[in-house]
Amino acid sequence: MKKIIDQSREIKKKIDSLEFDVHWYRRVFHAFGASFIFYYMLPDVYWINTIKFWGPPFLVVFAISLEVLRLKGKLSSDHFFGLRMYEKNRIGSYAFFAVAILILLRFFPQQITIPCILCATLGDPLIGELRYRFRMNYVYIFGFLFCMFFFMIAWSKTDSSLMLFASIVGGIGAVIGETKKFWWLDDDFMIQMIPAILLLIIWFSLPFIGLAEPGEIIYPSVVPWLS
Amino acid sequence: MSKRNDYMKINGNFARLIRIEILFMPILIFVPILVGIFLINDWYIRDLLHQELDLIGELFFGIILIIGNIAFDIPFVKTMFHYRKK
Repeated sequence: MKKIIDQSREIKKKIDSLEFDVHWYRRVFHAFGASFIFYYMLPDVYWINTIKFWGPPFLVVFAISLEVLRLKGKLSSDHFFGLRMYEKNRIGSYAFFAVAILILLRFFPQQITIPCILCATLGDPLIGELRYRFRMNYVYIFGFLFCMFFFMIAWSKTDSSLMLFASIVGGIGAVIGETKKFWWLDDDFMIQMIPAILLLIIWFSLPFIGLAEPGEIIYPSVVPWLS
Repeated sequence: MSKRNDYMKINGNFARLIRIEILFMPILIFVPILVGIFLINDWYIRDLLHQELDLIGELFFGIILIIGNIAFDIPFVKTMFHYRKK
């Protein structure tokens, strides 16, 4: 027994000697958000559909509740690792991020949702990282091309001219969303919603210009033992 | 340019907070990679083997997910080991 206690003390000591680099922690947290595209792979089964319906709003309510408690002072900011200084008296960017993902999953087709999520989760940290190292102009050009690539894949099952047009609009929207910074509205929200709204306009215009909607990219998995 | 000055300072028990974050670390690192592998596996089985559906998009997104996450995971894990040596 004493040996186990000593071992656990030793482990605790080792863990306490670790320190997370807050900057990279935030980047990894961002990139983790890309996993949400798994939502579209979930099997089309009754009880999973129920989770798909109630899961995202539950997570958003949970995130907002945490932020409300933090801003009211009932939950110390010390419990939140990696918050930026400007988030001290404002809702944290992770809550904005969650709200944007909920809106996208609920009201937008996956051909718009998936690239917008990837722009926020992979495009945004990449642009941020490059901004530290290169001149502004190059960063946004590279960011535009990077985000455009996501839209090209998502709209690949359509007419090639429409794919190119949609990906350019999406890429420009994502870069605008990244550059426009407001104190009260986070860029994690804007980088998802601006391209999404622009592409939704294109989406609704398709029947009027005689083009078909792009096909789906990710299909629900088929798991026989689940149904 | 100091990146660290942009972040809020922790006044309380920092070690305790770090221990909580360590519990999240495997999730943050491995879940996106697993999702990427799932996407590639789905493409391999339903598109390449059985040719049921055109899932080339799933393949691309799977690769993007894995490469994109590993690109951020490596410097993150490196900084952790760097601190550990101190």
